Amino acid sequence: MKMQNSNSGLSPIWNWKITALSFALLFVVGILAISFGPVSLNFVKIIRTLFGLPDGLTGQERTLLIDLRLPRALLAALVGAALATSGAVYQTVFRNPLADPYLLGAAAGAGLGATIAITSAGADLYSLLPIFSFFGAILAVLTSFFISGKFFAEPNSLLLSGIAVGSFATAVQTYLQQRNSSSLRPVYSWILGELTVANWQIVTWSSIYILIALVILITVSKQLDGLMLTDEEAYSLGINPNKLRVIAVVAATLATATAVSASGLIGFVGIVVPHLVRGITHRVTNRGLLTIALVGASFLVLADLGARTLLSPAELPIGVITAFVGAPFFLVVLRKKRLVTQ
Amino acid sequence: MIKVEDLNVRLGHRNVLKDINVEIEDGKWTCLVGPNGAGKTTFLKALLGSQPYSGSICDSGVEVFRNHDRNVAFVPQHPQIPIGMSVSEYVMLGRSKRDGWGNESNKSRNLVADILRLTGLFGMQNQYVSQLSGGEMQRALIARALVQEPTLILLDEPTSALDLHHQIAVLNNIELLKERGVTIVSTMHDITLAAMYAEKIVVMQEGKVLLHGTSEFVIHSPELKAAFENRINVFTLESGRPVIVAKKDLGN
Repeated sequence: MKMQNSNSGLSPIWNWKITALSFALLFVVGILAISFGPVSLNFVKIIRTLFGLPDGLTGQERTLLIDLRLPRALLAALVGAALATSGAVYQTVFRNPLADPYLLGAAAGAGLGATIAITSAGADLYSLLPIFSFFGAILAVLTSFFISGKFFAEPNSLLLSGIAVGSFATAVQTYLQQRNSSSLRPVYSWILGELTVANWQIVTWSSIYILIALVILITVSKQLDGLMLTDEEAYSLGINPNKLRVIAVVAATLATATAVSASGLIGFVGIVVPHLVRGITHRVTNRGLLTIALVGASFLVLADLGARTLLSPAELPIGVITAFVGAPFFLVVLRKKRLVTQ
Repeated sequence: MIKVEDLNVRLGHRNVLKDINVEIEDGKWTCLVGPNGAGKTTFLKALLGSQPYSGSICDSGVEVFRNHDRNVAFVPQHPQIPIGMSVSEYVMLGRSKRDGWGNESNKSRNLVADILRLTGLFGMQNQYVSQLSGGEMQRALIARALVQEPTLILLDEPTSALDLHHQIAVLNNIELLKERGVTIVSTMHDITLAAMYAEKIVVMQEGKVLLHGTSEFVIHSPELKAAFENRINVFTLESGRPVIVAKKDLGN
């Protein structure tokens, strides 16, 4: 059988080694992230603590690991996986290599929700910021769906209504900010993305939504190839394109809305990671959705490590790191491989 | 045999197809000809089963939109070019229904390699689809249809974007399908080419079937001239092949 394989002269569809490597990458990056910070922790002791063995970390170090670094690294991984996967899915569904997870108004809707939570006078809604931004994002995307009317008969009409809804939400957000100038700073720092708020509660609820979405997307990922063709071709290959598009966009939006509400707007991950994985593996993005999720997780965990340590003890917004490191790196790959057009 | 009875398709407020009654024979090449806007592409989509219709289209006795086990290949006039997909991956998509999406059997891999050789694409299998020329893209589409091993193939203007040399190459590739017993339905602007390759011709105008029958019959029928508002002349070559030429002195 192996002889036959090599005789066909075709390279295999997807390589499990790549997926295994990206698992390993996430593991290494994760260990690095919980070891380093203003206070460095002993690597062996971390492992002992995590597996409940004797001679682990004690006292303050243990608290630092369990209550601060671990939830933060997990949240970074979840958000990174969610944004990278949604980005790849949106790029396929809208047949547009520049599509990103915030395309359908999710970012602007979440921003408006967050601003309402921050600016509302008299009530302490700040603790409800994640809930407000989550529903802001979902509402904005639902509105885009509703306005586009045809419900996917034409992906571009959905895209356009997403832009319109996004602009409207941003306008309302700016108006609210101008009326409450004291809110400018917290809103601004939220827009740049922050993982400082990470705690086990946020990790728990965001992991539920993000993992459900990822399981759905990875399950349908292979069929997503069909959405890269015309609807008639997809139909002839046994796919119901309209149904598949709805499933894909709903799951990707759930992941995005959860990510945004847990960590603010972290740009660039949704575009860079899918293109990067495609450039390195030379495979269509859908086939490697699991790899993209793992690389996206590693990317954000690493970016967060940079955000915490570069100006230590001060912190940089993580969005600054993702763009500052991601943009030049991406441009180098882009020049070398001419990724976008091919 | 595909039996089309009283087929009507409405798109918005427009009746795109009106009361179509034709029979499409198994293993033959049927060509839909007619001016732009005659409803040819919509007819193809209805035959595929993806276009809602009223009336009846029965393929081997089963209504087409109900039968999801049918293996029909569709070659669109304007294909979407998938980003970052290699030629071999693109052709391999034709096996998705048989192998399951994302799976590749050894049989499929060997078949794809064979078909790539047959269509002259071997050696380009690792190139991106987006790098192909118009003629190569058309061949990749036909290759994907071939590996699908369909019972019916629907081609929308398979030669419209090609120069004469590539038109002939693509049409010869489509004939490969016919040799394998596949039923072919295509639309084509060029009636001369249609008459040269297809056994049956269906002439359409404004959503209706004007006349249909064997190529020989249709080409020499006076109604054909009427369909093109008398703007064509039919000549017969020494070999007996008909040639249809547009009249140049239109309006004089």
